[in-house]
Amino acid sequence: MSELQVAAPRHDGAPIYQLRDVIKTRQSDGIGFQLRVPQLQIGLGEKIALIGESGCGKSTLLDMLAFILEPSQAARFQFHPGGGREGLNIADHWRHARRNRLGDLRSQHIGYVMQTGGLLPYLSVRQNMNLSRFVQGLPDDDTVTDLAKELGLSRHLDLKPAALSTGERQRVAIGRALAHKPSIVIADEPTASLDPFAAEKIMSLFIGLVEELNITVIVASHAWRHIKRLGLRRLAHQTRRTSDGKLTETVVTG
Amino acid sequence: MRLFKVIRLATRDYRHEGQMSGFYILALAAVLGPMMVLFGLKFGIVGAMVDSLVEDPRNREIRPVGSGRYDAAWVEAVRARPEVGFLVPRTRSIAASMDLNDSSVGRILRVELVPSAKGDPLLPARLPTPAGYQRIVLSASAAKRLGVQAGDTVDGSVARRFRGERERVHLPLTIAAVAPAAAFGREGAFVAVPLLEALEDYRDGRAVPELGWDGSAGEPRTYPSFRLYARSIHDVAGLKLGFEKQGIEVRTQAADIELVQRMDRNLSSIYWAIAVIGLVGFALSLSASLWANVDRKRKELSVLRLVGFRTGDIMWFPMVQALYTGVLGWGLASTIYLGAAEAINQLMATQLAAGQTVARLLPEHYAVALGLTLVSALAAAGLAGWRAARIAPSDGLREL
Repeated sequence: MSELQVAAPRHDGAPIYQLRDVIKTRQSDGIGFQLRVPQLQIGLGEKIALIGESGCGKSTLLDMLAFILEPSQAARFQFHPGGGREGLNIADHWRHARRNRLGDLRSQHIGYVMQTGGLLPYLSVRQNMNLSRFVQGLPDDDTVTDLAKELGLSRHLDLKPAALSTGERQRVAIGRALAHKPSIVIADEPTASLDPFAAEKIMSLFIGLVEELNITVIVASHAWRHIKRLGLRRLAHQTRRTSDGKLTETVVTG
Repeated sequence: MRLFKVIRLATRDYRHEGQMSGFYILALAAVLGPMMVLFGLKFGIVGAMVDSLVEDPRNREIRPVGSGRYDAAWVEAVRARPEVGFLVPRTRSIAASMDLNDSSVGRILRVELVPSAKGDPLLPARLPTPAGYQRIVLSASAAKRLGVQAGDTVDGSVARRFRGERERVHLPLTIAAVAPAAAFGREGAFVAVPLLEALEDYRDGRAVPELGWDGSAGEPRTYPSFRLYARSIHDVAGLKLGFEKQGIEVRTQAADIELVQRMDRNLSSIYWAIAVIGLVGFALSLSASLWANVDRKRKELSVLRLVGFRTGDIMWFPMVQALYTGVLGWGLASTIYLGAAEAINQLMATQLAAGQTVARLLPEHYAVALGLTLVSALAAAGLAGWRAARIAPSDGLREL
């Protein structure tokens, strides 16, 4: 576990996430899977990369950080959207099944980019990008138009997702995750379904936008090579199988 | 506010998936339409047939056997009973006749007088009713023999032997209406009870001051008989029993009533069985298709959850769409029904009396169909939507 020690927080700013002993256990086909986070602190404005093969638990961690997956256990799960000392106790919200409260937090503070778009087929590009603003009732200003220009989508604003290429759809998904100016953007392999050239281009566009908007970002990827030079902090993790072979455990820390 | 947003999204999705939505509407109408035709037929043919038997005044009549002595208080008391649909006292039948004379023809006709009043089951409700000493309703055959019609005036007269002298009084009578032939087959007239009483008094030698007829002083009146109709055939047996307890022997159409009642019961239970099976099947098929639809959209609903819509909002998404499917499917089913009913009624037109229809639904039947559709649609979609909203968005998003 040599990597664990290396990964000390590089950012001195206030933390946005503070996790201690958070565990998610899952069972499928007789094989158990466990994600364990002994200690994790993410600072406001940090850019985090989570690198690893698929199936190692990256998505599980991201979904827990996005409040769309309930941890099996959590000694401490604090969320500080504004960076203050007193955070929100997410573990407590889950314990009391406050799904709607978590949904509100998501809509206000979190942007989420899925591996495959997750765009609504019945909405135009503009409406899809505006969805996160629409939920909160934010005013229809130039935000979406400006974002579309940055993402090279201006010509497509009135098209439905079905008319777009995969790369264009991912750019719309990125736009949707940023349009409501969240505190943090979580992206789960946003470029996995693209060819390497397009993947690199879209990833740098994404990270560039996030920097420009000064948003904390956590991105999962299986290709470190692409994002190494974008200046992200790599989150250490280790996957091992227990001696009886019945449990795969991933430990993330940082 | 959020609900309004969900309605907008659900509407966009419904329109975007126009073809799919069309199939759901079609599937609903394909089950509901034929069911409405079935019910239209039941209500049209069987309903009308049974109703006419149930309502037939001949089956509702209760006739006393022989003559008794019933006073006005007794008549009032019996008339007040809820099972009694119509009751008028009869005067002695020997006195219940009159000579009618149409001056222009000069023909004299003796008619039987039938006591009547407003609500007489033998007279169609749309006809004017006999009233007072002047307004009478003639039977069809009497009107034909006299050659008169509604609105004409005839001279009515009765004779008596009083203090050894033959006397005759005349009374101008207005034909308020002519009854249909089915109401009374012989030559007769429906008249108000006061006129019958006056004629009886005159014949008995008593005075009738209201008409200026001379005679001796009156005495308390009793009636020998009455005309009574139960409100429905189901009340006949009870009333008969009541009279027999009072020692009044009555005659009813018990055998016919039993037949009609049994037919009504059997047909009703058959149709209820079909109705319940049909409606349950309809509700299940609608629920299953809407449930499947929600399952198909689980990923999209999870996206809505992801961007912050609440459980309640997400439930409304499929419910709004189920509402559209329900209302449009019901509309299409009603159109199918109306087309089928029109065709059936046209086909049968030659065998029906005017105004009669084979297939018929009342507005409330359409309302029941719509209500049932919406209740089962909203319940199924709401439940499926609630389930979809409850699964962790993380699972929903990664399903595909």
